[in-house]
Amino acid sequence: MKNPLPKRIWLWFAQTRVGRSVFRVGLPQSNLERSQAMVSSFLLHVQPAKVSRHALRASYTLGLGLISLYLFLILTVTGVLLMFYYVPSTEQAYDRMKDLQYVVSAGLVVRNMHRWAAHLMVLSVLLHMCRVFYTGAYKQPREFNWVLGVGLFLTTLGLSFTGYLLPWDQLAFWAITVGTSIAGYAPLIGPKVKYLLLGGNVVGQEALTRFYALHVIVLPAIAGLMVAVHLWRVRKDGGLSRPDGPEDSVQSIALGQLPTNKSYGLMELARGTTPQVGLDPDDEVFTWPHLIFRELLLFLLVVAVVLFLAVFWNAPLEEIANVVHPPNPAKAPWYFLGLQELVSYSAFWGGVVVPALLVTALVLLPYMDRRVQGVGRWFARERTVANTIFSVCLAVAIVLTIVGTAFRGPNWSWVVPWRAPPAITEGP
Amino acid sequence: MNGSTPDNGISRRGFFQLTFGWLAASFATVATVVATVRFLEPNVVFEPGQRFKAGKPDDYPDGSITFLEAERVFLVRRGNSFRCVSAVCTHLGCTVNRAGRGYHCPCHGSAFNEEGAVESGPAPRALAWFLVTLSKDNRLLIDKGQSVSPEKYLIV
Repeated sequence: MKNPLPKRIWLWFAQTRVGRSVFRVGLPQSNLERSQAMVSSFLLHVQPAKVSRHALRASYTLGLGLISLYLFLILTVTGVLLMFYYVPSTEQAYDRMKDLQYVVSAGLVVRNMHRWAAHLMVLSVLLHMCRVFYTGAYKQPREFNWVLGVGLFLTTLGLSFTGYLLPWDQLAFWAITVGTSIAGYAPLIGPKVKYLLLGGNVVGQEALTRFYALHVIVLPAIAGLMVAVHLWRVRKDGGLSRPDGPEDSVQSIALGQLPTNKSYGLMELARGTTPQVGLDPDDEVFTWPHLIFRELLLFLLVVAVVLFLAVFWNAPLEEIANVVHPPNPAKAPWYFLGLQELVSYSAFWGGVVVPALLVTALVLLPYMDRRVQGVGRWFARERTVANTIFSVCLAVAIVLTIVGTAFRGPNWSWVVPWRAPPAITEGP
Repeated sequence: MNGSTPDNGISRRGFFQLTFGWLAASFATVATVVATVRFLEPNVVFEPGQRFKAGKPDDYPDGSITFLEAERVFLVRRGNSFRCVSAVCTHLGCTVNRAGRGYHCPCHGSAFNEEGAVESGPAPRALAWFLVTLSKDNRLLIDKGQSVSPEKYLIV
């Protein structure tokens, strides 16, 4: 069968002198070249030449980690584009948002993409954490990668929160006023943290400058670094978690016991948790093309979903920030509404103690739960207790978020969403 | 016993190297952190002043409660007495509205009575009352930097 034209062009280019200098291996034709394609490429060598079949099962990972990474990339690209027009000044920021909406070509779509990708990323990171929990994938030797994951979750929230102020509209101003006041309730360091965050006592130009710096460089740099280590650890901790992983089935061989009738390469002396150790070759497939193809397909899917949302729904932009008139009700972004609901009972307990306890519990979890059974399967029976506790916490968080989102009206009073009065901005 | 290397395996030179090495490293770390935090802490903030003039006493009719929008305070006149209460909710910093005889916060539903005391909701403290004085040119002078008890009036 004749190859289609693009493939023929590619095959011709890959075997030219220039093509070989760039790609080294052309389009792989043999298993050897499939391995070489992975190992000799800077961008691809993050992944092993072969992966376990289990790692390819979409029903196991749901692709959530990768989706989060893709959203992060989309956010970086659209974010840099927005930076070309945005000015972090209380005088100009809001006008620049209007310009992006009505003057800049495709500005509306780029801003919409940035906003929806940000919401989706919070969601996908959260779901990724749930997936890792319910499959017991945080257990030894992946404890530290779970901790990094918790860090990435918090960084994601931080990125979203700092980005929230930048449009300098009513939503932005009051959400940040409320959010930074919560920080002020922390014992001892609270007022200082608030002062440092805002660069003063009120949300103003200093706060905008600081949030901008945090949003466009500090937090993305931290997130990027942590993503790199997170991915590297996935590989070094033995690939994706799977049932009966190598750590269960492999006996480590002491150096002196090596048979003498066989020559060994260095890979045979690798640590017990490397992906290749103790794996049945039949259980593995070549990363190129099996994993690469699925990854590219998922990327296409994520971009398509974000574009679809961005084309059909506009990111909200309320009136310009007004120091005097909080909107009624003043609401934080949806993922903080559970927190805001708690804060409406007590700022100290709801805003400081409960979140601090939750984060501490998440960080300590892999070190407290040391049983190694039930890894690599969804809702393993051996993990009923852990899964139940996690599910209850999750359910409470979801209920609080739904209550804060839909059941709270003006003056934070109880409303039923299907009979909700419109939000009012009452004069004093 | 060898004089330079006692039983515990640390030589005199090794001890000093360890001690001063760790001291220097700790000092450098702490100094860097402290200097960075100090750098980020503004020494001068370009915010509106805490003291402001609120016009002549007669601008406010008897029995009125006037919201001074730019300053986020209510000026309360009763007879010849003047008081000034903060409109910033003590819970999370939203601006409270008048509601009945008291005040109400739209963000999380805290309610305050006429005297600024918490009646319901999550607010931890009463609304602050500020010092009201009369300037030399016969204007009301309010200092948001000085909290006073609700019983303190300016009598004109």
